[in-house]
Amino acid sequence: MNETAEKRVIRMSSDNAQVKTPAAPAVAARDKVVIKNLNFYYGGSKALKDVTLSLREKKVTAFIGPSGCGKSTLLRVLNRMYDLYPNQRAEGQVLLDGEDVLAPDLDLNLLRARVGMVFQKPTPFPMSIYDNIAFGIRLYEKLPKSELDERVESALRRSALWDEVKDKLSASGLSLSGGQQQRLCIARTVAISPEVILFDEPCSALDPISTAKVEELIDELSDDYTIAIVTHSMQQAARVSQFTAFMYLGEMLEFDDTNKVFTSPRDKRTQDYITGRFG
Amino acid sequence: MVDHTVKAYDKELEILDRRIAEMGGIAEKMVIDAMDALAGADAGLAHQVIATDPRLDALQREIEELAVLTIARRQPMAIDLREIIGAIRVAGDLERVGDLAKNIAKRSIKIGIEARVPRAIVGLKHMNDVATELMKDVLDAYAQRDVERARAVWERDIELDALEDSVFRDLLTHMMEDPRNISFCAHLLFCSKNIERIGDHATNIAETVFYLVTGETLPAERPKGRHEYDAKPPGSDNS
Repeated sequence: MNETAEKRVIRMSSDNAQVKTPAAPAVAARDKVVIKNLNFYYGGSKALKDVTLSLREKKVTAFIGPSGCGKSTLLRVLNRMYDLYPNQRAEGQVLLDGEDVLAPDLDLNLLRARVGMVFQKPTPFPMSIYDNIAFGIRLYEKLPKSELDERVESALRRSALWDEVKDKLSASGLSLSGGQQQRLCIARTVAISPEVILFDEPCSALDPISTAKVEELIDELSDDYTIAIVTHSMQQAARVSQFTAFMYLGEMLEFDDTNKVFTSPRDKRTQDYITGRFG
Repeated sequence: MVDHTVKAYDKELEILDRRIAEMGGIAEKMVIDAMDALAGADAGLAHQVIATDPRLDALQREIEELAVLTIARRQPMAIDLREIIGAIRVAGDLERVGDLAKNIAKRSIKIGIEARVPRAIVGLKHMNDVATELMKDVLDAYAQRDVERARAVWERDIELDALEDSVFRDLLTHMMEDPRNISFCAHLLFCSKNIERIGDHATNIAETVFYLVTGETLPAERPKGRHEYDAKPPGSDNS
């Protein structure tokens, strides 16, 4: 190929090949979930202390911090998971599009349809791959079979699982590999068109290839959904999120642009944690 | 700073730091020796400077390898990441400083017996003193992670630029006085350029120290006093 330097420059600049940095300008994003002065109690012990932060719409916010710092607790508040347990209570304000998530009379089924959750261990139902996804849809909508088929397919496509399972939709969800099971759970969450998706250490039980697939998926899903992810992998937080919150002993110590947090954090404790200097 | 939970990580960063210090010491000495060789027409010393350069190159390669390994092994974040990137950059600057000193040493051998106008070298010596001082200061600033000291070096480079200007005029005068000075003075012109560049590398290192400590970058524009080369012979301007 005999390309002159000039031509090459023109070609390259017209390629528009922009690197998609996770922390692209996030300024314009609107607050989807607003958390103000949130306190949380497991019986007598306080697990969250005066936490205030916002999840920006269609962005990925990562929560990092040592075990027991309250990050999973915070996630569980966002879809009122804690309601299943007595003696656990939240005080403060959590607003989803301005609507009070903590209101006692809130329809929890509706809330959990709007705020989906994916857990650490893949939790497929002991039923077919198809039904794993159709199950949730049927709870909320009555759809003719053809439309239901479409919804299942689109959820599986969105979760990058379709090509791997399209020929065995009636096989048990439990027959899939760990990574596939996790993507099935993501498909199940996506199928009911939530607005916010919470990931609680979604990759801690997965191998690096499945982890990469899930991360790629999170990246794609953030085009349409507001995402919060709890992870113990600093590198993962740095890779997938645009915002990062560092939590310690129930407090939110630092919340900033992910790029900033991982290159020059403000708080010394954040720095000690992410550089592996914690006691 | 608190130690890493993984002790070997601290060890790796420490080795990196020590290698940089070693490079700094060698480069600084090369700069001083090269000028002494030039001023004293000391070919033996000049050859010694030239012979030292490979050691500097080897150290730079070692630092880069270690830095790459540490990145691969530890996936450094925040201050650690900045330390390692800083080490790579400083090693690159010091290696170049060595090259420039070596170049001055080579020229001193060439000039050798031709050294016709000793006073032409006075300005150069002064430049070299300032450059050496900047190098020493910036290496101390690096070793102590001292932002203020780094900033002072960054601001002082302007002095060197001004000196280079006056050396340029000086040499031009000598060349005009006697054409037999031209080849000798041309060599000295290159030497003054080399010294000025050593100052630039000191400034680069100052910028690296600033970034390493604060996570921020110094403004893109350095204070500048200069400096279109005045091609007119000195004194021809009657205004």
